[in-house]
Amino acid sequence: MSDRVDVKKGETLLKVEHLCQYFKSNKAVDDVSFEVKKGEVFGLVGESGCGKTTTGRSVIKLYDITSGDIYFKGERIAAGTLSYKRNISEARKKMKSADGARKEELAAYIKDQQVQMKEARKDHKKKKFYTDIQMIFQDPIASLDPRMTVKQIIAEGLVINGEKDKKVIEKKVYDALEMVGLVREHAGRYPHEFSGGQRQRIGVARAVVMEPELIIADEPVSALDVSIQAQVINLLDDLREKMGLTVLFVAHDLSVVKYFSDRIGVMYYGKMVELADSDELFAHPLHPYTRSLLSAIPMPDPEYEKQRKRITYVPLKEHDYSVDGPTMREITPGHFVHCNQVEFERYQAQLGIQS
Amino acid sequence: MEKKLSVSNLVVSFRTPAGKVQAVRNISFDLHKGETLAIVGESGSGKSVTSKAILGILAGNSIVEGGSIIYDGMDLLKVSEDDFYHIRGDKIAMIFQDPLSSLNPIMRIGKQLTEAMLLKGKARQKASREAFNSTLALFQKAMVESSAKGDETKAEELRTMCRNFDKFEFKHIALEQEYMSAHEAAVEVVAAIEDALFHIDKNAFEDEKYNLNEIIRLTKQVGNDYVVCGRELEEVNRLAGELGKVSGGEIKKKEYPETIRILTRIKDIVAGSLKKAEPDFFNMGYYITFSGESLPDLPVPELNAFLRKYTEEHFMAKFRRYAAEALAYSDEGHKALKRKALEMLIEKRKVFQEEHLDKEACFQAARALTQAVEESIDKLEIVKDSVAYTFGVCLKSDLQIYFGGIGKNKKAALVHEKQQKKYDRLVKRGKQPSWKVPPSTAVDLELAKETILARIDRMTDHYKELLDGSRKRDYDRETRDLITFFKENASGVVLKVTKTMARYKALKLMEEVGIADTRKRYRQYPFEFSGGMRQRIVIAIALAADPDILICDEPTTALDVTIQAQILELINDLKAKRNLSIIFITHDLGVVANMADRIAVMYAGKIVEMGTSEDVFYSPAHPYTWALLSAMPDVETNERLEAIPGTPPNMVYPPVGDAFADRNKYALKIDFEMQPPMFQISETHQAATWLLHPDAPKVEIPKAITDRIARMKAKGGASHE
Repeated sequence: MSDRVDVKKGETLLKVEHLCQYFKSNKAVDDVSFEVKKGEVFGLVGESGCGKTTTGRSVIKLYDITSGDIYFKGERIAAGTLSYKRNISEARKKMKSADGARKEELAAYIKDQQVQMKEARKDHKKKKFYTDIQMIFQDPIASLDPRMTVKQIIAEGLVINGEKDKKVIEKKVYDALEMVGLVREHAGRYPHEFSGGQRQRIGVARAVVMEPELIIADEPVSALDVSIQAQVINLLDDLREKMGLTVLFVAHDLSVVKYFSDRIGVMYYGKMVELADSDELFAHPLHPYTRSLLSAIPMPDPEYEKQRKRITYVPLKEHDYSVDGPTMREITPGHFVHCNQVEFERYQAQLGIQS
Repeated sequence: MEKKLSVSNLVVSFRTPAGKVQAVRNISFDLHKGETLAIVGESGSGKSVTSKAILGILAGNSIVEGGSIIYDGMDLLKVSEDDFYHIRGDKIAMIFQDPLSSLNPIMRIGKQLTEAMLLKGKARQKASREAFNSTLALFQKAMVESSAKGDETKAEELRTMCRNFDKFEFKHIALEQEYMSAHEAAVEVVAAIEDALFHIDKNAFEDEKYNLNEIIRLTKQVGNDYVVCGRELEEVNRLAGELGKVSGGEIKKKEYPETIRILTRIKDIVAGSLKKAEPDFFNMGYYITFSGESLPDLPVPELNAFLRKYTEEHFMAKFRRYAAEALAYSDEGHKALKRKALEMLIEKRKVFQEEHLDKEACFQAARALTQAVEESIDKLEIVKDSVAYTFGVCLKSDLQIYFGGIGKNKKAALVHEKQQKKYDRLVKRGKQPSWKVPPSTAVDLELAKETILARIDRMTDHYKELLDGSRKRDYDRETRDLITFFKENASGVVLKVTKTMARYKALKLMEEVGIADTRKRYRQYPFEFSGGMRQRIVIAIALAADPDILICDEPTTALDVTIQAQILELINDLKAKRNLSIIFITHDLGVVANMADRIAVMYAGKIVEMGTSEDVFYSPAHPYTWALLSAMPDVETNERLEAIPGTPPNMVYPPVGDAFADRNKYALKIDFEMQPPMFQISETHQAATWLLHPDAPKVEIPKAITDRIARMKAKGGASHE
């Protein structure tokens, strides 16, 4: 297993910078940056196809990212090369028309970029911290091998990482099972013998047996019934306290995300449009997309529901980015919104009046 | 309110290697016209099984043990597969839970969307033609017999009247159809132009050629005497020609001012023409067919008055009078037959009362009864008498259950012996099994016999009630209903679904359910879509058939909030527009608050609580409803969630007492021993829990729920001001 680098509570554990993930011409994730602090739950919300799952999968290196860097405990664990390639080709184009000192400058720049690209490739291949990040998948049926017993499923990670002592494996598996509220007898059974909620618990046990620091939970409760959903959320909550876990929580159910997360990032078509503390986000949503998203949450109250008006978000109507393009800007400390200068001032004015 | 669907005492089980799983245990509910009934419960509570029973698509190992599902004078549990073809998809459509398994992987999306439309279009045309002709023939016969009384010239006049009705009714529908299609095209032209202008303004006008050509295509359809006509039509055509020149060549940004000018002009003309009043096509159809003169040149409101007067004088007044007479005559005639059937019912009841029923005699009696009852049904009644309509089929199947049961019981006795042995063995070893051995009889013969007698008694009572004369039929109203019936069926015949129309409608539906880039998507295969997109396709397919009742089985569970909200709004809109009745199945109570008129909470195959959505959300009575409500976080929940411990019971061995008792912290001792009956709380609200018994200890609704209600009330009030 990897050597432990200690990160204190409240310090940055995971840092994602300018992450881009392109599938051919499809920009699934486009220039997304955020930080996850040790011990917190960071929620990612957005509609299906907005790239939140892709972001989660890029962090755990299920994809080779196209561009950007991902740092874990201060070390780069994944990096993309597209930005360097672009810089180089642009510089080459410029070189054709440039001359003298300018040309040399550009040549040096290209050289520098090439070195950086090489380093990025090297860092990307590193296997350090592999076991420190674990994932819980959405569908508890599809993500468990039906031909393996629960014990085999949970122990697989340990075995792959070179653990040979059967007693140690057994103990760890039993501990993990007990931690997620199952009993030892369950270890010998097969996934199909369990109900949906129990299967998801097995998925959680498989993740926690590696004693990770960061868990990426990709819609862990979306496929479950309401009553079971509450069981799994409570379980994750307990584990987080017991093990000091940090969770990157990807979900589309806003009520659940609000309940579970400390900070929330809202994504729309591959871009992060708003990022804030969860209370702040729900109290003062600024970006029109966030507002439309919040207005769509159904409430268990017929009277209120009859009055609720959903706001629709039409990007063309809301923004005019023809002159001034948007960037991520900090409106109040910790509250970031994807906007341009005009909108930035408007949002600040809005908050100024409200506070 | 008119009952659309009525489920009573439905019992469904599944045969599995582990034993008989009781999925639905005796549930009853009604679905009224234009309402949404939500069925809420955990997976395995039997909600999907109920909906599948309604559609007749239960799995092969299912056994429908009893009950009935009445729809439009038919018992859906008893109708043949051939008859079901006319109902499934056409009258009752379903949105399935799993979009992956309900789409055909080797068929393009477009084909799957239009397939049903084309097939059902033809079938519907045929069915409408049949309904129209057979009812008109019956009606004509009744009219001639009631009013002519042997006078041959009068009879001939009446026959001509009916034939004329046939003729001008179709003319009316044809005229109306032309008007409607032009009107719709006009509405779309305006919307499309507004959209194009918006995008040009925002500098994001893409797919120019296609969009402009689409507008040109639509402008060609707006021509109609009452929409865009005369000089206006000429101008629109001329402008469309100009637009064609623009879109025909290379479109450059600098040509936009010209395009904007043309588009705005077309929009102004068409939008102006949309304000015109709609003419009365029913009367116009008559005037054009029979007056032999051309329409007078009058403004629409005056024209309407003129036409109404003309038709009333020449035809309608007489027609209505004769029609009412005919209806009364037909009713009188059938009353006599009903009396005869009633006598027979009372007489033949004795055959079924004996100790051991004789198979031959029983079936013979049943045949005779069925014939008598069927003859006594007045087919001119538009609202069908479902008791009489379903009598024959139900009686036959009741008999089959009884006589088939004798054989089944022998087999079941063997199984029982085996299980009893196993039980005894366990007890001997000192264990206390948590289940009981189910009784040996697969079919309770006594009960089966009682059902048969009850069926006959119900029919007898029903006819007695009809014949005692207290019920007055309003023949004038029924005449109007009859004419509406003819109109509907005539439009069913005239309306043809062509391939182009189906494609056009499919593209519109795809847009409606929120799929972007429809033309490209139309040619793709299901695997090219994401989960949410697939679900939208499934919804579009269900809506394409234009059903009467829509069953939604967890339609939004796989979708995210915005799309969920869109889909729910879409379903709500359609409900309002088409007066649909909806059965909405979900496990998420949050979703149903703005959908449902009434809510039924199901647990372990039974309805445990039922009421209007206000009843269930503001004063829930059953502990299971409490548990569901407090297990679900909302955006202001901070305290720990109240998860429901454990899992639902194994329905192979259903518990003796209340099924929820094991997981219920409010459970009383009696909950483990006896099943609670349905307690009526108010007129609309009922729940099955012992807590409602007068002798039960008082238990408060959990704090999490009362808190939420108070909080939401404060919030709702604030947004009100």
